[in-house]
Amino acid sequence: MNQTGGYAIQTSALTKEYEAGVRAVDSLDLKVESNTVFALLGPNGAGKTTTVSMLTTLLPPTSGTAFVAGSDILEDPAGVRRKIGVTFQETVLDDALTGRQALDHHGQLYGLSRAERRERAGELLGLAELEDAADKQIKKYSGGMKRRLELIRGLMTDPEILFLDEPTLGVDPQNRAKIGDHILGLKQRKGMTVLLTTHDLDEAARLADTVGIVDEGRLVVVGSPADLIAQMGDDTMHVQGNAPSDGFASAAAALDFVTEVAATDSGVQLGVDSGDRRLTEVVRLASESGYPIETISVSKPTLGDVFLKYTGRELRD
Amino acid sequence: MSAALIIWNKQMGKFARNGQESIGSLIQPVLWVVMFGVGMRSLLEPSLGNGDTYVSFMLPGIIALTVLSGATGGGMTWLLERVQGIVKEYIVAPIARISILLGNAASIMTKALIQSVVILVVGVLVGATVSGGVLDWVASLALVLLFGIGFSGIALAAGSSTDDIGVYHMMIALLQLPMLFMSNALYPLDSLPTWLAWVARFNPASYLVDGLRQTILTDALTMAGSELLPLWACFAVCTGFAVAGMVLSLRVFRSSLG
Ligand SMILES: Nc1ncnc2c1ncn2[C@@H]1O[C@H](COP(=O)(O)OP(=O)(O)OP(=O)(O)O)[C@@H](O)[C@H]1O
Ligand SMILES: [Mg+2]
Repeated sequence: MNQTGGYAIQTSALTKEYEAGVRAVDSLDLKVESNTVFALLGPNGAGKTTTVSMLTTLLPPTSGTAFVAGSDILEDPAGVRRKIGVTFQETVLDDALTGRQALDHHGQLYGLSRAERRERAGELLGLAELEDAADKQIKKYSGGMKRRLELIRGLMTDPEILFLDEPTLGVDPQNRAKIGDHILGLKQRKGMTVLLTTHDLDEAARLADTVGIVDEGRLVVVGSPADLIAQMGDDTMHVQGNAPSDGFASAAAALDFVTEVAATDSGVQLGVDSGDRRLTEVVRLASESGYPIETISVSKPTLGDVFLKYTGRELRD
Repeated sequence: MSAALIIWNKQMGKFARNGQESIGSLIQPVLWVVMFGVGMRSLLEPSLGNGDTYVSFMLPGIIALTVLSGATGGGMTWLLERVQGIVKEYIVAPIARISILLGNAASIMTKALIQSVVILVVGVLVGATVSGGVLDWVASLALVLLFGIGFSGIALAAGSSTDDIGVYHMMIALLQLPMLFMSNALYPLDSLPTWLAWVARFNPASYLVDGLRQTILTDALTMAGSELLPLWACFAVCTGFAVAGMVLSLRVFRSSLG
């Protein structure tokens, strides 16, 4: 671990070009501290899955490299593989097996003893509420059941670092919360490091110690959810008008109570010291600068506003 | 337990539990023996005299055909598992790439060996004579295995090289049928036109066929002509074919990951 200075994951100029000249991941420098949950956020096509694929040795980088659990992904991929668990974005289960068989097979691949496999599979099937379905063929599972099975499969081997690419996609809110709690529990009890991607910003805010927002292959901001939200000012104002917003945006930026201005695909987002007090001023400024307002709203800033600020896009999926 | 064995075990479990697949795989060789052996026998009996010998003569070819189509099916399964992403579980696991391929080749060959036994049993029922001591049987088993691993490697390579089922089948068809028909399986080497005899000498299937005729189906030797491929060459070629097939599959699989 000495080369990586206590980081579970450290990338240096990690880059992937699927086609020459088009960078799906562009010189990514990312550090994930041990025993933390790191959430990688970004719009569709931002390069999250590509990043996870490179870190899990599924895909070789075009240039740059990364240390994962103390091993270089290029020089010692086997060392990396021994220490990680992965849940891929798409469902990749052999549906001719039963849930229990899939877990057992997975444990075998990582050299777990029969007793360990049986014990962990039983425990994890309980966690995912799959006991009743455990001995049914996976082809008979619902989408959410498959997802839950995949998640616990990644946990079978007690990895040092767990990679979860959109782990709770298609999972109902109740199971989502349960899985989230379990991830936090693993971090606390076993000292596990987790890198996850998600489109659920509330989930990211709840689980992650650190979030990183990527856009077009580049890391645009990193920080704790609380810090990132605090940067947004005390209140966030969403102003939506039906004219080009440039004039209004630059006029707003000149106001001293405005801490943040971000043009987004649906209007302008302002960070202000006190939304209720500044509302009339902002409305007046908008009409003066030729930006007729259609809707305006004030709220406490959320991670969603942070996301909007840095990517200019709302997160939908 | 080694990873190849784990994967072999999983594939065999699926095979055993899939009643349709396992029963179908037993019926198919029976049909082939009846079609090739019995059908052609009645056609050729008037000119050949001894039809039983012809069945013995044909059996190695039928075994080769079974191995070829078993490997083709296995390569297809591999392609599907790759496209579905099932193979990703193996790629990020702490196991060697080659053991993933070997596990699959081994399961293909286990199924093909079971089928080969059925072929021999049915062959004997319709008139073939099997012969040989323990060593001959071990030798013939090894030859079938080596040849089968070689072609499994080719099928796995083809299944790694494309995500398109149609392209896969076209690639395999270009190899599979010539391997059977441009060999000594249907006619002895010395009765083939010179050019075809030369092609057959470069065809690993010929070495499997003549190897089997010299170990456990010696009755066929009266029909096999004067130009028998020597047994040592049969082993050398089948071993080379096995190694080459697996190396090829590893290369193509590796490059498919980039
Ligand atoms: N196999 C591939 N071949 C070519 N281009 C690819 C391939 N996989 C991904 N890309 C491209 O790389 C970019 C990043 O894709 P990636 O899947 O990493 O995004 P993502 O952030 O995971 O998106 P999502 O939120 O939709 O899962 C996209 O522009 C995508 O079109
Ligand atoms: Mg993705």
